[in-house]
Amino acid sequence: MLTPRRTNVLLVAFLAAVLPPLTYRLMPAWFPSSFWLLLGYAAVFAAAALSLNLLMGYAGQISLGHAALLGIGAFTSGLITSKLGQSMAVGIPAAALAGGLVALLVGLPALRLKGLYLAIITLSLGYMMVNSIFRMSIFAGGSAGVEMPRRIAGDLLLNNHADYLAMSLVVLLGIWLVDSNVTRSKLGRAFAAIREDEAVAQAFGINVSRYKLMAFVLSGAIAGLAGALYGHLSFSVSADTFSFEKISLPLVIMVVVGGLGSRVGVAVAAFFFMLFPQLPVLNNLHGWDLVIGAFLLMYTVARHPGGFTEMIAEARDRRRKRALAKAAQPGQDEDIEEKGAIPKLPSLPRPSGLAERPQVAGANLLEVEDVRVAFGGLRAVDGASLEVPRGQIVGLIGPNGAGKSTLFNAISGLVRPDSGVVRFLGQEIQDLAPHARAERGIARTFQNIGLAKSLTVRQNLLLAQHIVAGYNPVQALGFTRKTARVEAELLERADQALAALDFERFAHEPLRNLSHGQQRIVEIGCALVTAPELIMLDEPSAGMSPGAAENLALRLRDLRDELGRTVLLIEHNVPLVLDVCDYIYVLNYGSVLAHGSTAMIARQPEVIGAYFGEEVVA
Amino acid sequence: MLASIVLGLVAGTIYGLLAVGIVLIYKGSRVLNFAQGEIGTFSLYVTSILSTQMHAPYLVAAAGAVITAGLIGFLFELLVVRRMGGASRLTVTIATVGLLTLLISLEFMRFGPAPQPVPSPVEGVGPVIAGVYISPSQELSVVIILLLGAALTIFLRYTDFGLAVMATAQDATAVRLMGIPLSRVTAFTWTTGCAVAAVAALLISPTIGIGVAPNFMGLLFVSALAAALVGGLTSLPGAFVGGLVIGVIEGLSFQAGSVVTAVPGFKEIAIFAVILAVLLFRPQGLLGKEA
Amino acid sequence: MSAEVLSVEGVTAGFGSNTVLHGVTYKVHQGEIAGVFGLNGAGKSVSMKVVAGVVPAWSGKITLNGQDVTRLSPEKRVARGIANVPQGRQVFPALTVEQNLRLGAYTLRRRDRGKYKPLLESMYERFPVLGKRKDQLAGTMSGGEQASLAVARALMSEPSLLLIDEPSAGLAPKVVEELFETLREINRGGVTMLLVEQNVTFGLKLVQTAHIMQRGRIVYEGEVASLDRDRVAEYLGIGRLLKPGITTNKNGAAKAPRKTRKAPAPKAAGQPSN
Repeated sequence: MLTPRRTNVLLVAFLAAVLPPLTYRLMPAWFPSSFWLLLGYAAVFAAAALSLNLLMGYAGQISLGHAALLGIGAFTSGLITSKLGQSMAVGIPAAALAGGLVALLVGLPALRLKGLYLAIITLSLGYMMVNSIFRMSIFAGGSAGVEMPRRIAGDLLLNNHADYLAMSLVVLLGIWLVDSNVTRSKLGRAFAAIREDEAVAQAFGINVSRYKLMAFVLSGAIAGLAGALYGHLSFSVSADTFSFEKISLPLVIMVVVGGLGSRVGVAVAAFFFMLFPQLPVLNNLHGWDLVIGAFLLMYTVARHPGGFTEMIAEARDRRRKRALAKAAQPGQDEDIEEKGAIPKLPSLPRPSGLAERPQVAGANLLEVEDVRVAFGGLRAVDGASLEVPRGQIVGLIGPNGAGKSTLFNAISGLVRPDSGVVRFLGQEIQDLAPHARAERGIARTFQNIGLAKSLTVRQNLLLAQHIVAGYNPVQALGFTRKTARVEAELLERADQALAALDFERFAHEPLRNLSHGQQRIVEIGCALVTAPELIMLDEPSAGMSPGAAENLALRLRDLRDELGRTVLLIEHNVPLVLDVCDYIYVLNYGSVLAHGSTAMIARQPEVIGAYFGEEVVA
Repeated sequence: MLASIVLGLVAGTIYGLLAVGIVLIYKGSRVLNFAQGEIGTFSLYVTSILSTQMHAPYLVAAAGAVITAGLIGFLFELLVVRRMGGASRLTVTIATVGLLTLLISLEFMRFGPAPQPVPSPVEGVGPVIAGVYISPSQELSVVIILLLGAALTIFLRYTDFGLAVMATAQDATAVRLMGIPLSRVTAFTWTTGCAVAAVAALLISPTIGIGVAPNFMGLLFVSALAAALVGGLTSLPGAFVGGLVIGVIEGLSFQAGSVVTAVPGFKEIAIFAVILAVLLFRPQGLLGKEA
Repeated sequence: MSAEVLSVEGVTAGFGSNTVLHGVTYKVHQGEIAGVFGLNGAGKSVSMKVVAGVVPAWSGKITLNGQDVTRLSPEKRVARGIANVPQGRQVFPALTVEQNLRLGAYTLRRRDRGKYKPLLESMYERFPVLGKRKDQLAGTMSGGEQASLAVARALMSEPSLLLIDEPSAGLAPKVVEELFETLREINRGGVTMLLVEQNVTFGLKLVQTAHIMQRGRIVYEGEVASLDRDRVAEYLGIGRLLKPGITTNKNGAAKAPRKTRKAPAPKAAGQPSN
């Protein structure tokens, strides 16, 4: 089937494959061989920069040893084409495989951890490869390096630079397509959430270390591929080709200056930095290009972390804003803030990608038994137990510092209890990771909004459906028919939710531009969009006007009565709690001080005392 | 065997010193300064120019290097790090990579890849310890590093400002709420952390003995980074001990490398393996509390 | 009326596009303990952080002892006489008690080094537990001891205004009572205090003047004795609970009835009986 997109891709591929060879043959005097060689290097660096962009720009992880991954690709393809006499058609895919494999081995220990460890270990990898592995005689033929014939088959070689450029451009186009499939599937959204805040990503049900690893492996595979292209372009490589300063550093400059996360910007920057210094006018640059590049890099990160693409976009935005100066701004919307109108929460059909959940006997959806969590010497949760019956709204109240939020974290998985049992749908979940608990049907909100603030409202609603996006990463990279179908479904649900909340006008607005109250509504919408069994709300009324809090009570009751959900609620607004809860637990000093039906709790002055500071003999 | 250990310890003190510089900046700003090593390289070029072209005595040339390095750190903090305010650690770290690129490209531009001569602080013949000849410059290096370590320890433990530096690593906001100018603390950590890199470069250069070329300190920086990691990234004594550990491991791997000649660069493999092992088994380091 | 130590005039502040304070105005007078109260999210903590200088004011004016400090950094405000007991106490855990106190005296030691020793001794007298443990690492002390340390550390700068952010959070009631008694004593010694506290009953017993916030504005204020209980309770979201039996003790503090002292409610592991 020929969609417009496919027609475009085929057209570009045709042009890439035909234009350089044809032009060279028709006008050799104007476009000499060296011109095509130069363009070839630019194309190869663009591929390498896209690979680093995928890791740094999308997933927010730094690699300072990308030269090593390129080198691995080059040596792999070199050995296959020269020593084994095979075609590049074997060598180049093998290079991608090798690059991905090394990335997997290096990334596995480094990416389990949060922080800059990947930068450290890749830096070390780079030096090890250049000074040791690439110099081993069994691997690379000693310090002389390795021949890299451009073998197509047998003695057929692609020695003409224009022909080779055509091949490189077609490969680059392939990388471009894979990269764009990343950004329009759940992979790209997951990477963006991780870059923004790993805890938020986890709460969305994203397996953070696995996705970080996926980004690095994908980046390594593309780097290996780019390295093989680079090697064949130069006909031979040695260990010194892949030094830190010749490849790893320029790649960082291209990616940052081009704009972290901007495919177009990074590719343009790669072509610019490769071609600009070669302009005949600038014959005496003497290395000024790198100095300028370094300055640009520092300027960009300090002033415009989104790179030049962002600067252009910002300028366009400013012009547009000036044009419609008086138009309504998000965040100043008075409906929620002043009138206290809270939209009706969406009732959405059960997503098709959702696994069947066990139907267990017994009325309790959630059971917490004697859970303890200590930070250093502080016992934040000290033997707390509670039960949440299906179809009820259960309140959790207590003074600041009583351990309510920590208990929430222990239930949703952001902290692991030191001891005790958390049982959900009859199964013990206290050892599961947060994303696994989200998959089982626990959704939650955070006191300070657990959403990706720089992504748009719609992107957040799509992210929230991560756990029901039922296609695997390979299907995502190829954007198969199944992926397209699932994505369309996710989008439809996101738009339904937007429509139900009457937030369509904010669909493309970055979340951070919304007011606190609006963000809170989006967060609750996100929690609902995957049809969770249990919804845990951490102080939903904080910062809302009294009117809005009253409306919130209505909506919470809707959750229970109309949507059939079970709710666990942390709340300081006591009238609200008394209004909506079926059952209340009072927490103080990390354990349950009292619990009972709402009517019972409201009658106990001791509870009030504990909550508001009246002395109670502890 | 014993010889490798002794040589490893001698080199390890220098890694330890460089690692202390890394940790000092990390404690002050939660940023890994990837330009640390190259600031050392750059300052060696200053020494080279001062002594070969201007015929300055060694001490003057060395002082020039240390001042240059400190100044680079000070200016980078003032002009880049401070202006980035609320930016993520990731972006600030990328900015240090920018500084690294800038220094390397300036070196290439002015001097090209060929090594430039760097003078040696002392000449003469040194003692033999455990069957190993220790050169006078190595001797001097150990003495200087121990003195510097003692001075830094006393400063951090017993002066108001030193205590403020320690406190900043624990709670930067609370430091400001005590009326301590946080900007002065971070300026100090960047200046000192970078100046220390120049000292390390000056001390190691006679032992390597080939003069200075671009990215001269690159590999040493990786060793120091591994040392800081072994020490837990936030512990100054840990970083120094980490330096000794890395030094000894390198010494032993060097000896192993002379046996297994088929594999070049045993040292680089050893450092990589150490980093890998720390990440796998003890990411908080030997003495660190949190990563 | 005694002199104004602090004056906050029409201050707005917030984070990004999110405005938290919509024009807050109040004053703190020499020798009093003033308190800012409100529900979570009302902006009470931000209103204190704006005074401390940690959160910048977008507009409005903050005056300390007659000098405009609106644009000053937190550290410069400390030099002008503000001292902070931060939320969660924020003692330096890996430093000893004495090192913590010495950092508290950072500005004092620059003004007048001779005052340090006697002041330190007086702190050890007031807080004997600190004297006994002066070489212990602050991170290894109990919550109550850390609270004493945080207060003593703040007093080491001889402040004209002590900012205390949520002192009761995470402390046992008995410890809070002791802490508040200490604060009362310190206040009697002439130190002006501004308190942010969500523990209303405790807080109202300590302060003389209350400023009640709702959604970023001061909605009700006055001397505690003159406040209308029902309105206070309503603004603080505890209306229905406190209304029935609210009493006034002789200091004028709002108080819930105290009948039994031991909670008869079923203990943690009990089954909900629904």
